Amino acid sequence: MTKRNDISVPQDYFQNLEQRLSRIPHQEVRTTTFQKVSPWLAYAASLAILATVGGFVFRKAAAPVQEDYSWDYISYLSRSVDPDGMVELEENADLTDEDIVNYLLADNSISVELIAEANYEEDN
Amino acid sequence: MDSLEQVFNKIVADYSERLFWHVRRMVNSHEDADDLLQDIFLKIWTALPSFRGEAQLYTWVWRIATNETLNHLRKERVRAALRMQSVDAEMERRIEADPYFNGTAAQRELAKALVRLPEKQRQVFVMRWWDELSYEEISAITGTSVGALKASYHIAQEKVKLNLSELDVSK
Repeated sequence: MTKRNDISVPQDYFQNLEQRLSRIPHQEVRTTTFQKVSPWLAYAASLAILATVGGFVFRKAAAPVQEDYSWDYISYLSRSVDPDGMVELEENADLTDEDIVNYLLADNSISVELIAEANYEEDN
Repeated sequence: MDSLEQVFNKIVADYSERLFWHVRRMVNSHEDADDLLQDIFLKIWTALPSFRGEAQLYTWVWRIATNETLNHLRKERVRAALRMQSVDAEMERRIEADPYFNGTAAQRELAKALVRLPEKQRQVFVMRWWDELSYEEISAITGTSVGALKASYHIAQEKVKLNLSELDVSK
């Protein structure tokens, strides 16, 4: 493709442009209200950020050391998503055999005979 | 010793036309290019007292112009996004409706193909293809290595060729 200038300009445009641009040093630089207050806004924003971050760091440093419950929470989550709920039963040491039998009986898919058979195998 | 105003007037005389064409190709509108050029030269005038001469005047002037142009395009992109519109579609509409465009259909398609390039890639393409700057000059202006510029230009060229070949106007 040839590189011919495909765009035109109004007549005497560049002459006028040069004249207009040359007047820039004599123009009063327009300053908007925002431009006037922006250094102060930046200063206020910096202070606000400092106060927020500083306050957070101070509170974090001053807070008493707490036990890490993160593992308990993960354990809770894994139990809550376990489809059979068996993990919860196994890990909960306070449950009695009776509780477990009642839980299994409440589940329609497990019969009394099956539980009795399991108890028999365990006893032997 | 020249006064600042004399230096500024020399910059205007030496660079205004060339920078106009650069900006015009980037924004695809005569009026926007005219407004943006005013902003660029106002910035040059404002920054001129702090020009220390570490860079060449040529590089310094072009750097201000290219940065201002990219900032303008970014603002346009944000404004278009806020209106849930595509800036590329708006640019293509401008090219279609441009009263100062007097090129061929193929040249119009080339302008549209350039719009589809990422802004920085488009800038490199315009500086190399239309402004005919050397890679070394573009490197000094943009701060990008010559190797990266060559790669960027090559990718841009391939994308433009692909866009044009789809329209069968690349010859």
